[in-house]
Amino acid sequence: MLPKGLEKQLNILDFSLTSLWRRKLKNLSIMLVFALVIFLLGSFQMLTGALTSSAEAVLENTPEITIQKMSAGRQEAIPLAYIEKLRSIYGIRAVIPRIWGYYFDESNLANFTILALELGSMPFDSNLNLTLAHGHFPKKTEPGTAVIGRSVQDILGLDKRRTFSLFRPDLSLKSFKVVGVFSQQTDLLSNDLIVMNLTDARDLFGIPVSMATDLCIYVANPTEIETIAKKIAVLLPDTRVLTKSQIQKTYQVVFSWRSGLASICLLTALVAFAILAWDKASGLSPEEKREIGILKILGWETGDILAVRFWESTLVSALAFIIGCTAAYIHVAFFDASLLKAVMVGWSVIHPPFKLLPSVTLADLLLIFTFSVLPFLGATVIPAWRCATVPPDSVIR
Amino acid sequence: MLIELDNTTKIYNQGKPNEVTALHGVNLQIEGRTMVCLQGASGSGKSTLLAIIGCVFPPTSGRASIAGKQLSRMPDRFLTIHRREKIGFIFQQFNLLPRLSVLDNITLPLLPLGISPRERKTKARKLLGQLSISHRENFPAGQISGGEMQRVAIARALINNQPIILADEPTAHLDSRLSMEFMQIMTDLKASGKTIIIASHDTLVSEHPAIDKIINIKDGRIDVP
Repeated sequence: MLPKGLEKQLNILDFSLTSLWRRKLKNLSIMLVFALVIFLLGSFQMLTGALTSSAEAVLENTPEITIQKMSAGRQEAIPLAYIEKLRSIYGIRAVIPRIWGYYFDESNLANFTILALELGSMPFDSNLNLTLAHGHFPKKTEPGTAVIGRSVQDILGLDKRRTFSLFRPDLSLKSFKVVGVFSQQTDLLSNDLIVMNLTDARDLFGIPVSMATDLCIYVANPTEIETIAKKIAVLLPDTRVLTKSQIQKTYQVVFSWRSGLASICLLTALVAFAILAWDKASGLSPEEKREIGILKILGWETGDILAVRFWESTLVSALAFIIGCTAAYIHVAFFDASLLKAVMVGWSVIHPPFKLLPSVTLADLLLIFTFSVLPFLGATVIPAWRCATVPPDSVIR
Repeated sequence: MLIELDNTTKIYNQGKPNEVTALHGVNLQIEGRTMVCLQGASGSGKSTLLAIIGCVFPPTSGRASIAGKQLSRMPDRFLTIHRREKIGFIFQQFNLLPRLSVLDNITLPLLPLGISPRERKTKARKLLGQLSISHRENFPAGQISGGEMQRVAIARALINNQPIILADEPTAHLDSRLSMEFMQIMTDLKASGKTIIIASHDTLVSEHPAIDKIINIKDGRIDVP
């Protein structure tokens, strides 16, 4: 036998369920609209999470400091002679020249990012292979080899073939053999990427042997990054010095700003929904008012009526929350957030496409819950309380 | 005395422009195990008197003692609990929840008492049997006849075994045969120890031999002939 208090709550819950069922059309329509709002809010939240975590995964292996030569406010090739100058700064672990450029494939109307560096000289070259779905990065002893992103593989039709060719500036062809493909986790930045040897990149772009596009600097003590960056800026005043944290912040700011803007629009929709729910609930139908009056006169306390309303709202909003969040996850995970991607990713949606891995944290779910379920509960329970505290004498008139 | 009103006044919207005095210093005593008929024209204060006896709200001034409890200044929560334990209501419009089953309508007063579904059903089925409507147990209350609705309303008023039954114009929507049946049920309930107060214009009620006392209300005052 259950305690009276628990039995009472079960009775009230049972009554709430039958009450929901009695007004199923009204409750179903509210639940679906609510689920749609949560779906949009959840999609933005999960999409932001997916983009941010993808960016973080990729940026994990970026150099601690990157320097680029600037002239008239624009970037130009940097002489390798700068490496010798940098060796005078205490705390620098390694300086690695890099070529970073873009290649426009006219036949497929796609832009590829070309990245070339001496991977063997990098302090953590073994970790880099973790970003690959299969294969290995080009070795210095393997000229004419490349690692490609998943989209490059699709666009160039390399699922069966292992070689492809790109045009040099003089329109002669240079051939590459695919030795590895990037994994989906790094799609955000590696999807359109082709990684090759420095020698091959210089050959492809026609860059002199003594030049690179930028220099990657790794430091011994991560706490000294900012100090070393300042020393470099003083030593090489014609360069732009970028730290890893600055690049990470740029990505975060871009996605958070877009997410914030979208969230403002969505919160407006949510507020409109809350006002609608409030209006519906405070303007209780004559049937609902009569029902509250009957229950009160039959000995139901105000708290009992509020408990019914609370359970009804909780069940509707919990169901809407589960449906909305599940739909948002499916939307982001299986449909690539196709409804919202253009808003969040900007120009990068044009070409080539990339696959999203949704990132859902407890904090995200709590945030969505706080901004959706709690206002709904307030918007429905408070007006019911106002109605339930009025003496039910209208029923006997 | 089971019910005792002493100089009871009820003012609606007190201090506002639309202030209305519904009862003016009413004095009333009703003994237990009696059947009383409350008569009065529309707007005479009959419903207000019934609401005070039914512990729906306390009087504005004066004393109102119902089943041993003083209602004056009693907080709403205690008023509700007292009403639940002592008063059973039968309404003119029956006031059933039309989409709820007959059984569920009857057991409504038991839900906040924490009584298990099995016990609720047992109590309700016993009353359904006594009132000869067991065959309608699972019907939605909105889909049964007026006479059956009346019996469901009676069953609901009796489910918690309250000592006082208040009926507001209970025969207004019934034909004479059903009205007679209703009065027979009330007579049986009086015999079983209930106190019954019926507000009605119907002579079939006021002239019924089981009625012990007739109270006339006019302009918020007890009209002594």
